[in-house]
Amino acid sequence: MNKKISILAIGALASLAFTAMPTVARAADPACATVSFVTTCQGATSDGAAYVMQVPANFNGTLLLYSHGYRLPVDIPAGIPIVGGYKVVKLPQQAPDATVAATLLGKGFGLAGSAFPVQGWNADAGVKSDVELIGLFRKQFPTTQKVAAWGSSLGGFITQALAEQHPELLNAAAPMCPAIGSVEAELTMASDVLWGLKTFFDPSIKGHNYSAGAAGYAEAMGDLVKVFTVLGKMQSAIATNVWPDTSGPAGQALAAIPPRSALLMIGLMAGLPTQSPHFDSTTGPGSPNSSAYTSFALAASPALAILENIANAGVLGVMVTYDIEQQSGGPVIDNTGTDYSARVATESASFNAALSGNTAIGGMLAFLNPANPAAPRWSADPTAVAKMRTLASHTGKINVPTIAIAAVADPVTPAGNVQWLADKYAAQYAAEKAAALKDFLTTHTYVAPKKNFLAIWNPPAQSYTKFAATGAPITNTPSANGTDHCNYTDAQLLTVADLVTTAANTGHLKSGGPLTTEIRKTAGLSIDPNFRAPLLKFYNEQ
Amino acid sequence: MFGLRRTRRAVLASATLAAGALALTVLPAQAFNAHTEVGVSATQIKLGITIPLTGIAAPGYNKIPSAMNAYFNYVNDNGGVYGRKISLVVKDDAYLPTQAVNKTNELILKDKVFAVVGALGTANNIAVARSVNLGRRGIPSLFVNTGYSGFANTKAYPSTFALFPSYIMEAKIMGQYLKENFAGKKLGLIYQDDDFGSDALAGFKQAGVKFDVSVPYASGSQSAQTAQGWVGKLKSAGAEVVVMFGVTTASGAALATSAALGYKAQWILGSVGGDATTLKAVGVPPYVLTGAIGASFLPAPTDTSDEYISFFQGINAKYNGGVTFDNNVLVGMNTAMMTVEALRAAGSNPTRAKLISALETKGSSFASASLSPIGYAKGVHVGYTGYWFGQYNSAGELKPVGGAYSVYTTDSGTGAIVKSTYKRPALPTNGLPSN
Repeated sequence: MNKKISILAIGALASLAFTAMPTVARAADPACATVSFVTTCQGATSDGAAYVMQVPANFNGTLLLYSHGYRLPVDIPAGIPIVGGYKVVKLPQQAPDATVAATLLGKGFGLAGSAFPVQGWNADAGVKSDVELIGLFRKQFPTTQKVAAWGSSLGGFITQALAEQHPELLNAAAPMCPAIGSVEAELTMASDVLWGLKTFFDPSIKGHNYSAGAAGYAEAMGDLVKVFTVLGKMQSAIATNVWPDTSGPAGQALAAIPPRSALLMIGLMAGLPTQSPHFDSTTGPGSPNSSAYTSFALAASPALAILENIANAGVLGVMVTYDIEQQSGGPVIDNTGTDYSARVATESASFNAALSGNTAIGGMLAFLNPANPAAPRWSADPTAVAKMRTLASHTGKINVPTIAIAAVADPVTPAGNVQWLADKYAAQYAAEKAAALKDFLTTHTYVAPKKNFLAIWNPPAQSYTKFAATGAPITNTPSANGTDHCNYTDAQLLTVADLVTTAANTGHLKSGGPLTTEIRKTAGLSIDPNFRAPLLKFYNEQ
Repeated sequence: MFGLRRTRRAVLASATLAAGALALTVLPAQAFNAHTEVGVSATQIKLGITIPLTGIAAPGYNKIPSAMNAYFNYVNDNGGVYGRKISLVVKDDAYLPTQAVNKTNELILKDKVFAVVGALGTANNIAVARSVNLGRRGIPSLFVNTGYSGFANTKAYPSTFALFPSYIMEAKIMGQYLKENFAGKKLGLIYQDDDFGSDALAGFKQAGVKFDVSVPYASGSQSAQTAQGWVGKLKSAGAEVVVMFGVTTASGAALATSAALGYKAQWILGSVGGDATTLKAVGVPPYVLTGAIGASFLPAPTDTSDEYISFFQGINAKYNGGVTFDNNVLVGMNTAMMTVEALRAAGSNPTRAKLISALETKGSSFASASLSPIGYAKGVHVGYTGYWFGQYNSAGELKPVGGAYSVYTTDSGTGAIVKSTYKRPALPTNGLPSN
């Protein structure tokens, strides 16, 4: 099984190879060099964030300021599966990938991005660095006319925060696969995954309340190992219907229920998508009329999809929890009042068969009941929570033309993030319209409010799971588009770039036929205004 | 931006007028042209259905779309609906909720259907309602092929119309039948362990029926192998009367396995899993079915004395290749006839909103093969409300217990079970609605 961990910085760091810059000069003035008609400048902001700026000879006056995604704040020991060996290296990143950067430079755009001064959840620092970087870019390249900000994942969060806090610096913004709202929304999703894994499959997972200092680091690294160990055991558990030997009380109490159903229950409780890089939850092996096909598509595929997706969410759960707790000074997760039955009320109908029916669903939810001593809930430290809530968050106000894109089956920053922003904007637009009508009564002049927000959805194909001749699913192929985290094609990224730079230059979002045509020509995108992604569970409970 | 010059008297124009003026200014063409609804052209009305054509739940249900098309083609050959021919886009969902969502999205976004008609399956329709947002979009989902009581909730499912009596109603009425006919017997129940089965449990509870042994099964898990476990539990509990509340393939597995294991009981089959033709097709020997009790809201498909059955059999012969006329074919044609009536009731310039409104205001008077009354009213999307009981003969025909149809009606709540006095509307002339 492919356990690609998208949340991590590995991909982001690798993508920086194209930058190929000399040693960073941490000075007020950047070091610049021109190679092949592209001037590349590198330096550091006043708070020490390494940055890179690139401008082609045919610079068209528009800067695309990129904010990169979440990078782990600590090194990961080499022995840990998959993510082991990761080192904190603060390399700046000015575009989602090298091909996109080269294409945009070829079109005359200027590019810039920093590494931010600190890694981990760093939205406040990220906004500060971006603000400074815009000034540095304008100083270095005075012909700059327009600034469009874009960013991926946490970078999308930073982009939206920048647009809310400093609209005077931007002409347009494009948060991509963003976390939106507050860190609590993401943290709730990730910690539900972690709490579920602990409660069902390995009570020795600590999951929260990590100690300060080296002890806490060791606890978090230990949890990473345990999470990966559990997920490894679940691969065989799904096939054998036998609970992992680490399961503890749940494995005994729920032994009659297939463990795959418990795994799916965790995913649904947390709000993870049920389509993953290789499992579409609709396809089985062999003839569509065979029971093997139906049982795989109906029962196994959703669980396997959660297994793939949970690899991301589990790591997110450990590392972001550890990160935020270290920043906040104590435990910040509180699920003592969470009603997990309500959480899955709708999904349990749609995935009833995969959850093994109402009786099994009732059994699992009963086990998760707060009154069950074998399923202890987590409490937060109010002081730590208060401190966490001082971290940057969004109001959802759209100040500049904004294009937000989300993959429908993104397991790290689910599409519900963009839905939250879309809902906020719908309310904002309605209020602007009402205000315009009110103004009309006194001025007799109606100024229609400008549509300033566009949500682009990136849905997966209906069916994409492939099977070997043996009937085994094939999982060593690239992730299906529309799944995985920030897994956009270059064409999709370039469409976003075109839309946001066009908006920056015209002051308006593209609309009507030109927009429809551009979206249609870019495979895998949709702007269906009636599509609605489920909100993150956190928002449903506000 | 634009300005509106006003006289002093007109200064106090309302915001509503202002909004109207804006619409006229910005969208003059749309404002003055007649509204064109998605899926409706001058010559055609396009409808869609998702249903299992493949997969283990497909047998039997896969006959419904062609039966619907047979009736639509008959109507089309006779002038269509206000001159428009009906086309039905059929999508295979394999009885998978996830696929039902995908295929409904296709119907709406790619095929651009006017409405969805006859979509099958409780979990599928719930998933579609949640993910595709039919209600929010105002897209009608007519005559869903499920008796889940939840679809009566018009807040949650504002554009969905149930047709079948709810499973709660069915279980309530069946419960009364059990008490009247099998008092003192050991009772067993096999049920699909989802909202379909939950409705059944609620209905039996309402009726005051307690089962000595209950066997839930997860949807999709039915097979000869799993049925051995069911039968083993029933046998060891000594169940003498067994109620089957599952899809036809589950009924088939239970009956065939019982026969193979020599387990004899009085079987009572719910309406969903009691189609004799399909049971034979999935391997149930005819003798096993003989004597079993079944429930239905439609006349028996073999009852040629019924004018609807006789008419639909004629349509089946001419437009449907003369396939075996069974409950599924009957359901398909009856659904199609009601669809035509609904479209006619929406008028010569139909919109989705008009279609929903027409069903609420006129749907209860539609001609229909059902022996049960229709409950549609303003804010009420409940279709049929009653059942009759019959017994399968050696030919697999469901014959009314007592020789004549005795329909009992009730609701999904605590309402009483009453013998129906409903007088069914006569078959429209030539089977062509003129409402």
